[in-house]
Amino acid sequence: MQKRKFIMGDDAMAMGAIEAGVKVVTGYPGTPATEILEVIAKERPDIYTEWSCNEMVATEVAMGSSLANVRTLAVMKHNGTNVATDMIMHFAFTGVKGAYVLVSADDPGANSSQNEEDTRILLHTYGHLPILDPSSPAEAKEMMKAAFDLSEETSSAYILRPVMRVCHARSVIEEGPSTAPDREPSFENDRSRFVMSAVSEPKAGGKMRPLWRHELLNAKQAEYKEIAEKSPFNWIEKGEGHTGLVGCGIGYTYAKEALESLDLSLPILKLGTLPLPPKKVREFLNQVDRVIVFEEIEPVVEKMLKQICYDEKLQVEVLGREFFLPAEGELNTQIVLEALDKLAVAELPEDLKPFDRPKMPIRIRTQCVGCSHRSLLNAMKEVTRKHKGIVTGDIGCHDAGSFPPIELQSTIYCMGASIPMAAGLAKSGLGRPVVAMIGDSTFFHMGLPGLVSASYNRANITVVIGDNGTTAMTGFQPHAGSGINVMEQDVPKISIEEVVKAVGASVRKVNPYNIAETKKALEEAVTEEGVSVIIATAPCYLRNSKTDNLFFTPRAVEVNPERCNGCKICINDFGCPSLRYKDEKVTIDKATCVMCGMCADVCKRGAIV
Amino acid sequence: MKLDIIIAGVGGQGNLLASVALANYSMKKGLEVLGTETIGSAQRGGSVVSHMRISDKKIHSPLVPNGRADILIGFEPIEAVRNIHFLNPKGKFIINNYPVPTIFCNMGMEEYPSEEEILGALKARCSQGYVIGASEKAKDMGTLMMTNVIMLGALAGIEPFFEKQELERVIAELLPKKVLEQNLMAYEEGYKMVANSEANAVSA
Repeated sequence: MQKRKFIMGDDAMAMGAIEAGVKVVTGYPGTPATEILEVIAKERPDIYTEWSCNEMVATEVAMGSSLANVRTLAVMKHNGTNVATDMIMHFAFTGVKGAYVLVSADDPGANSSQNEEDTRILLHTYGHLPILDPSSPAEAKEMMKAAFDLSEETSSAYILRPVMRVCHARSVIEEGPSTAPDREPSFENDRSRFVMSAVSEPKAGGKMRPLWRHELLNAKQAEYKEIAEKSPFNWIEKGEGHTGLVGCGIGYTYAKEALESLDLSLPILKLGTLPLPPKKVREFLNQVDRVIVFEEIEPVVEKMLKQICYDEKLQVEVLGREFFLPAEGELNTQIVLEALDKLAVAELPEDLKPFDRPKMPIRIRTQCVGCSHRSLLNAMKEVTRKHKGIVTGDIGCHDAGSFPPIELQSTIYCMGASIPMAAGLAKSGLGRPVVAMIGDSTFFHMGLPGLVSASYNRANITVVIGDNGTTAMTGFQPHAGSGINVMEQDVPKISIEEVVKAVGASVRKVNPYNIAETKKALEEAVTEEGVSVIIATAPCYLRNSKTDNLFFTPRAVEVNPERCNGCKICINDFGCPSLRYKDEKVTIDKATCVMCGMCADVCKRGAIV
Repeated sequence: MKLDIIIAGVGGQGNLLASVALANYSMKKGLEVLGTETIGSAQRGGSVVSHMRISDKKIHSPLVPNGRADILIGFEPIEAVRNIHFLNPKGKFIINNYPVPTIFCNMGMEEYPSEEEILGALKARCSQGYVIGASEKAKDMGTLMMTNVIMLGALAGIEPFFEKQELERVIAELLPKKVLEQNLMAYEEGYKMVANSEANAVSA
């Protein structure tokens, strides 16, 4: 790496982990955290990196390595943290051996997620784990390095909780010195810590071990608070007046910018740790009559401050996202300015007043031109419409099939939910065919237990696995069915077909670019008993467009205006973005058409040839 | 000195290369740079907005506040209008007049606004700007992919901070050798579209 680089927050965190001497890095792709692991894999092939099948597995692999006294890192987005919760709640009790840093990246505003969550609640309020909450890429890098040291200092996992605008912000980052420890892997048994079981613990006078470990976790909080008190990530900035601003993580940057743009100097408390530094917080609260807390997303610190005010009998008004600021979504400088305006602390300058922008047509994402999911979804739509079927959806590029114009899937929930939800619909007595649509990476992530359960419980469903060989949505990460790993080593390609056969479901394999063949397989599947799986295999077009690895023969198709009656099936049902409608006829935009020829197959009048 | 720039477009139009070029250029001048992208539900044809902030002082947040952008670069007309609230009324815009239709427009559920409506919406906020045929030019020169480089050439033509030869050198460092020559010609074309003529200038 160069000394000074303009890089993303994710790259900065990767750099921090490398400088801290991380030896094992695990994770599952998820925006906005994906690049952290990818950058380490690319920059440092000597560090072990893996895309685990899911985040639960990732946290467990990392725990194993931590027990061998090496520095480990597990990386995931908030949905993944939910998946890993069971393991997290256990290592909170046991503590760790080699440093264990868990990155739980939140996506306030859900720019790239199916929901928005504040994992500080899960990890700190519920899990009692210490958290570092960075305000910028540069601070995220420093926090990453600090987290490794603090994890070993306290023998507990440390959480780094960057939000979208830290992960995906770009700034100039400088390389720093190595803080890697010089030691070899080693393993020592410590069963009273690393065997979590309901058993009497002699070291605790026969107390039940989980209870004893819970006591130790609670006692740890004082240690975390001491660390927070000395932490370089918390500070007070002096200012004038009796209204103070509290900026947590990214919230600090918006508060700071708002004050500078107003040329205003209010006292600021910048916070980057959980638990909070109690003395520093008290010192700040004693200076002011009122504070506004800026944090993403939930009123976590706000409620802690209210609690402190109550406990210490401080007459300080605490405003924040509970009742005062917008309770959902990202913060920005505008929100800070409007809050100050509302409290009459400052007046909004003319150029910063809200501007009513004109309404423009909505733009939603869809399948890429040439994507094999589009023809697959089209075949599924035709067959399920005919049989009055219901389609449950899953996470991945194919989820756009639930939006207009395709509007096929009736549900999108969490990873792997399509199959059990289909089973539930089928078991309800509804009497309609049910089809689950899932991608290959998601199948290995959490689809498999659902499929086993459906087969075991004799659910009458069809499962379509859109197998494009990669985790396309997050930027083409390899998975268990790819035959390659993130370290670019050839590895056994787990066969979806063999797995499905072993589960006891029927299997049909199709090329999704062959709509007629796909429809035939679907017809058979929805009318037979039991779990029927269709594996639709074709490589991701976006990734393979410049290679020979295509599953269709390119065809230069044209619209015959004599035959086109403007029925728009190709646009309103199939929905290829290269098709345009003008003067009651369809035309093909040659600049974007990739000649997959699928529109010719969906035209009922033979007008596209 | 501070320069806040918004680049608004559609996934696949090359926003990222453009913002990295502007960042690298500014870094070479020893300035602070901070930016971020807002990617409407991943890529796949969704809206993409890049925030690029350049200053000789410390920059705090990666997001340009409403009304504080000095330049709005619109790779796509309605995406430019969608982000017009970021632009300061005293700033300037430069828009590629090549519409990328939306799904709802294609379906006939919404109507893509006319050029007059778009221009009217832009001018209601800001009086100074340029509308150029960057994508048409890119297509003529061989590929739509060069739209971003043409837009950067035009930017060098309207904003004195971006010195033409120096920005060209920075762009050249980011491009693969195979397409370099063609792209530098495209950059020159973009520059010519605004620098030597008032033809594309828009004033309220």
